[in-house]
Amino acid sequence: MARAVKTQRKALNTAIAWGVGLLIFFPILWTILTSFKTEAEAIADPPVWFNFSWTLENYFTVQERSNYFRHFWNSVVISVGSTLIGLIIAVPAAWAMAFVPGKRTKDVLMWMLSTKMLPPVGVLVPLYLIFRDLGLLDTRIGLVFVLTMINLPIIIWMLYTYFREIPSEILEAARMDGAGLREEVLHVLMPMAVPGMASTVLLNIILAWNEAFWTLNLTAAKAAPLTAFIASYSSPEGLFYAKLSAASTMAIAPILIMGWFSQKQLVRGLTFGAVK
Amino acid sequence: MSTKASRAAARLMISPSVILLLGWMLIPLGLTLYFSFLRYNLLMPGDNPFVGLENYSYFLTDPGFTAAIWNTLALVLGVLVITIGGGIVLALLLDQPMWGQGIVRILVIAPFFVMPTVSALVWKNMFLNPVNGLFAHLFKALGLQPYDFLAQAPLLSIIGIVSWQWLPFATLILLTALQSLDSEQLEAAEMDGAKPLSRFWHIMLPHLARAITVVVLIQTIFLLSVFAEILVTTNGGPGYASTNLTYLIYVQSLLQYDVGMGSAGGVVAIILANIVAIFLMRMIGKNLEA
Repeated sequence: MARAVKTQRKALNTAIAWGVGLLIFFPILWTILTSFKTEAEAIADPPVWFNFSWTLENYFTVQERSNYFRHFWNSVVISVGSTLIGLIIAVPAAWAMAFVPGKRTKDVLMWMLSTKMLPPVGVLVPLYLIFRDLGLLDTRIGLVFVLTMINLPIIIWMLYTYFREIPSEILEAARMDGAGLREEVLHVLMPMAVPGMASTVLLNIILAWNEAFWTLNLTAAKAAPLTAFIASYSSPEGLFYAKLSAASTMAIAPILIMGWFSQKQLVRGLTFGAVK
Repeated sequence: MSTKASRAAARLMISPSVILLLGWMLIPLGLTLYFSFLRYNLLMPGDNPFVGLENYSYFLTDPGFTAAIWNTLALVLGVLVITIGGGIVLALLLDQPMWGQGIVRILVIAPFFVMPTVSALVWKNMFLNPVNGLFAHLFKALGLQPYDFLAQAPLLSIIGIVSWQWLPFATLILLTALQSLDSEQLEAAEMDGAKPLSRFWHIMLPHLARAITVVVLIQTIFLLSVFAEILVTTNGGPGYASTNLTYLIYVQSLLQYDVGMGSAGGVVAIILANIVAIFLMRMIGKNLEA
């Protein structure tokens, strides 16, 4: 009897949760579906759900008309580039703060975090002018630099919280065995730190891929990543829903997949370890 | 504990990050502050005289400023209320036993990974468009007049779009916090005959308080800077109806080329963000000691 009630409740929970889940996911699902329709089917009233003539044409059109892969590649270069450079700068700093903490370590960490609180629009004007004068407007290298700086505090913080979980006794044991600093880092610390570093990399690529303030303001045609390229669809001509959907699907698919793998790290990364 | 040599090495390893971040912060900040005291428009070449607080008094008395402040407040508060209310409900729901919990969680989290320009354009065209949008089709099917969301209720529409993007974040964090709740405590309360509502009120909500605070603070930081969603949907209009502070400063500096005024606005935005930041930093700092 009690068991039947329990199963009933579970079934009810399942139904409600799936309903709500699908409702929240629906705009994404609809975008993916629309990307395989013809433009006429995309705006059909009543809407067509699955019984349309599936086509890949929109994907080819988007590529032909606007050299989509150039922008896709820009996104890859900017997000991966800024993350890797950030990592190179951040690993030594996080390592030092986690294993050789000084009196001011906490203050340094908090100060680094505070740079993240600066609203980007507060420094829009000077950065724009500096970029203009240095010829960095609409270049990938310029954006890599900006995104590295924006995400550096998050990278340092995430690495720091991961490194801190590595027991320092192990490092001391290695040191006792005569391991130098280089061996200590390469053979002892790194293998234990790889999972945390991988999560950090994943989350930062996601954040950089979706960054839409600096990418919109500092790029034009040449270096525009997908965020800025997609924005050009805000003033389109003619029918374009299916093409917009195709461009959008390609822009969000890789990140959606990476994001699902990094759910747990998302919480830690975005709350700076305040919620684990 | 640590030797002098390792101390020095540590300092050396930290210094690149510190120097870069220091430069990244101080140089643009200093320039913003400096420009904010100049009459400096890119359309009017010539020397840029020092004008004291003139830019600030123009910026603060501009009708756009008052509108932008209210819109910023409405946007931040509206999204916070929706995402935290919805997030608590969703977290409680997802915490229940069910089949396919992992998949449901993936469905709920997905919007967070959609880039702002995509979600704004998809909502604008495929859902909110008064002729071809799904809502227009739905309204017609129900025998109602189609409603032009972005023209009639621009700010509310943007609040809706941004809430859709941030609801997953609130849900995920609240769910994580909920799952760390000691289940024995809940069972004990249940045995003592505590009703579900009183269990929620007296045990779950206090446990969630900290996570809710974190969500409020972090979302506020990001919501103060909402930009792409406004740029691709309404361009801040009609009039100033959906212009927030970030968008107003963008218009003044990059569309009207008024460096002085844009910088004064930037300083105002920094001050406002700092008020929030101080509270957030205190919370995170406390956690660092634990």
